[in-house]
Amino acid sequence: MPEEKQPLIETRQLTKVYPDGTVALEKVDFRVQSGEIHGLLGENGAGKTTLTKILSGLLHPTSGEIHWRGKLVRFATPREALSVGIGMVHQHFALVEPFTALENVALGQEGGGLLAPAHLSKIARKLEEIMEQTGLRAPMNVPVELLPVGVQQRIEILKMLYRDVKLLILDEPTAVLTPQEAEELFETLRGLKRAGTTVIFITHKLKEVMAITDRITVLRQGRLVAQVETRATSPEELSTLMVGRKIEARFQRRREEAGEVVLAVRALAVPGDLGGQAVREVSFEVRAGEIFAIAGVQGNGQTELVEALTGLRPWLSGDVWVSGVSLRGLKPDQVFRCGVAHIPEDRRRRGLIGPFTVAENSILGLQRSAGLRGLCGALSWQRIYAHARELIERFAIQAPSVRAPAQSLSGGNQQKLVVGRELAKRPKVLIAAQPTRGLDVAATQDLRDLLLRLREEGVAILLVSADLDEVFQLADRVGVMYEGRFTGIAPIASLSRELIGLLMGGIPLEEAWALCQRERT
Amino acid sequence: MPFLRALRPLFEVAIALLWGLLLGAALMALWGYDPLVAYRALLLGAFGDPYAMAHTLSRASPLILTGLTFAIGLRGGLFNIGAQGQLTLGALVALAASLWELPPGWHLAVAVILAMLAGALFSIPSAVLKLTCGVHEVVSTIMLNWIAFWLVSYLVITHLKDPLRGHSSIPAAPGARFPLVMAGSDLTYALLASVAFAVVIYWVLWHQPAGYELRAAGLNPEASSYAGIRPGRSMTLAFVLGGLSAGLAGAAEVLGRFPYALTNTLSNLGTLGFDGIAVALVGRNHPLGVVASALFFGALFAGATQMGFQAGVPIDMIQIVQGIIILAVAVPELLSLSGRIPLRQRRR
Repeated sequence: MPEEKQPLIETRQLTKVYPDGTVALEKVDFRVQSGEIHGLLGENGAGKTTLTKILSGLLHPTSGEIHWRGKLVRFATPREALSVGIGMVHQHFALVEPFTALENVALGQEGGGLLAPAHLSKIARKLEEIMEQTGLRAPMNVPVELLPVGVQQRIEILKMLYRDVKLLILDEPTAVLTPQEAEELFETLRGLKRAGTTVIFITHKLKEVMAITDRITVLRQGRLVAQVETRATSPEELSTLMVGRKIEARFQRRREEAGEVVLAVRALAVPGDLGGQAVREVSFEVRAGEIFAIAGVQGNGQTELVEALTGLRPWLSGDVWVSGVSLRGLKPDQVFRCGVAHIPEDRRRRGLIGPFTVAENSILGLQRSAGLRGLCGALSWQRIYAHARELIERFAIQAPSVRAPAQSLSGGNQQKLVVGRELAKRPKVLIAAQPTRGLDVAATQDLRDLLLRLREEGVAILLVSADLDEVFQLADRVGVMYEGRFTGIAPIASLSRELIGLLMGGIPLEEAWALCQRERT
Repeated sequence: MPFLRALRPLFEVAIALLWGLLLGAALMALWGYDPLVAYRALLLGAFGDPYAMAHTLSRASPLILTGLTFAIGLRGGLFNIGAQGQLTLGALVALAASLWELPPGWHLAVAVILAMLAGALFSIPSAVLKLTCGVHEVVSTIMLNWIAFWLVSYLVITHLKDPLRGHSSIPAAPGARFPLVMAGSDLTYALLASVAFAVVIYWVLWHQPAGYELRAAGLNPEASSYAGIRPGRSMTLAFVLGGLSAGLAGAAEVLGRFPYALTNTLSNLGTLGFDGIAVALVGRNHPLGVVASALFFGALFAGATQMGFQAGVPIDMIQIVQGIIILAVAVPELLSLSGRIPLRQRRR
């Protein structure tokens, strides 16, 4: 057996116990070799994020050691980790939202970067160079908060590259990307690898680890269950390692005739944050018992469209009807009363109120409904708690109690809470924006099953998803958005992956058809 | 252990209190006063006999109300420091209303209700300015505090001037005053009104949809608008409830405490409005916590007088020690607050 060369970073018996008693990591011996792309695989709550937060100096281990290039190290702060060359891009970005990309990169740099224009332009030049080399592009002078999530992530990666990291840790980087964007990211990562950067890639998507990594570490419930060569393993094996049980794809769509039109959108135009039109006169309809999926690269108007449909954003022109009732000028509560439920894209910012309890969150949007009120119109906590307990049971939400703050739940359970609450509204139309983003395999499956069940119950579902697997598993019809318009709307059966890819790239349906035909012959 | 977890804030406050007392003791010892004698006097002054206890309760009651003003604001995402001005205006209106000829049974009620409405009305400009022009409430409430101060001062030395006493306004009519709970003390039924109001606020915030919406909008305006809440409405409600509370405090002071008038410099209103900020912080911005916290502050204020009499500690030193204790108790909460104050409106 050949002697293993010295790892770039190594943990020995690393253990992390949180103050509330949760054991997040238990005696983990984790090893990453220099120059590899290392996949860190595990379900939500397996300890991936905790492990990498310790490596990047954000958390301190309860016990155990970290060795960097063979030397014992202790990082008191992320800055210390960064100074030896370890940088992490988090799932929830560490960007100052009103700052531009350039200012965000300059922030924390030595030499008073934010104040000296000369320094700033020097940073801009180097950044431009990095963008040139890596192909990762982002507008440098627009406040970050106005950019789509996908672009914000690119800025985070650029920030790390600018700081010349040797070990780049990416926490679920593809969760917010389209397949094309993800492929671009992979290309970038391969380029970084050639340049000698080591990458830790956190994910729970099997296909991705198989595609991009050299070696894979699997965590399950805080323990390291396996460290394998990517070449020598298979998705099936990984899935078993990760979940601890064999899971088979359960998704089965029963072919049923869709019913009458429930949601009708006619020539709807919606303004963008920067002015202009984010959505340009789109028309479509969703029938009862149908899942209509909107695919497309993030930032092509999907977010604005959903906001417009749910009363959160004004319209420029056009109209929308739910069962024949126009939603023109209605506020979110009035839209809800028309039978529309909404699973928002950003559950932390929009779907939940973090410090509120599970019970309080379980009635968000329902706070004025008569069913939850008792004497003198007061909220009946008895009924609210019962409602919350019912959600917890029905949707298998793992929560210590209905009085626990929602922010103490894991991401997957937070999402289940949002989904459960929205479904409890018994909607005619369900608008689900990226409903499985950031969820683990099991939770994703549960959720997709749920959507299919709703479809069978005759709910009209508008699904906005950046995940093509999801679109293919769930959708009856697909509309692909590009720069605020549909490049094509077609039944899923008539579409292929590459065809959707072309549509996402802005090529109209007929042309895309022709291209695909030509390629086949 | 959910039971122990519920007790945690109390425990934290107790530790902080202990620190404050120790620091204060060290300071007094440094200047040659006996801290033990001083604290004994403080304790006796606050709880030593029924009169002392009545005095503590009496000092606590306006603090409950101004504490509520700040606490409600913070629950609604506001840093509302306008209690002082709203209280001043409330006191003025209560005093003016007491001068009318009204049947005795109704007189107090009318004066109090008008004072509360005045407080609420005086908070409306802050809401309007914030909603329409994005003016931060810290700025607008500070300005309104000064407007109230000078306006009321002017009226006190002109139209409401008492020809018999040079230094204050006409006293409130006896029929419109809060009745005493205990003869010989200064404890009036204003305490009952204050506690009742705190309970009402608790009921609104935790048992009414409007209160739920107020708290939701205060924590997360985006999720709130998603849930059909109009954040502007909730914000206005937070201002109005706070104004009602401060207005009641003004009425309670001028109709419930000697000299039953406003002094020329409004000195008898003191800094009750601003003290409410500390009261709310220590009370964790919970209406019932505010009541407990106001009792603590009331005891501190009531006992301080005895520190001067019995231990010979000069008033300045007493105020320094008070300040240290308050700071110690409020600091943990202040720290956790710093991340939550939205100093800038989110761009949409």
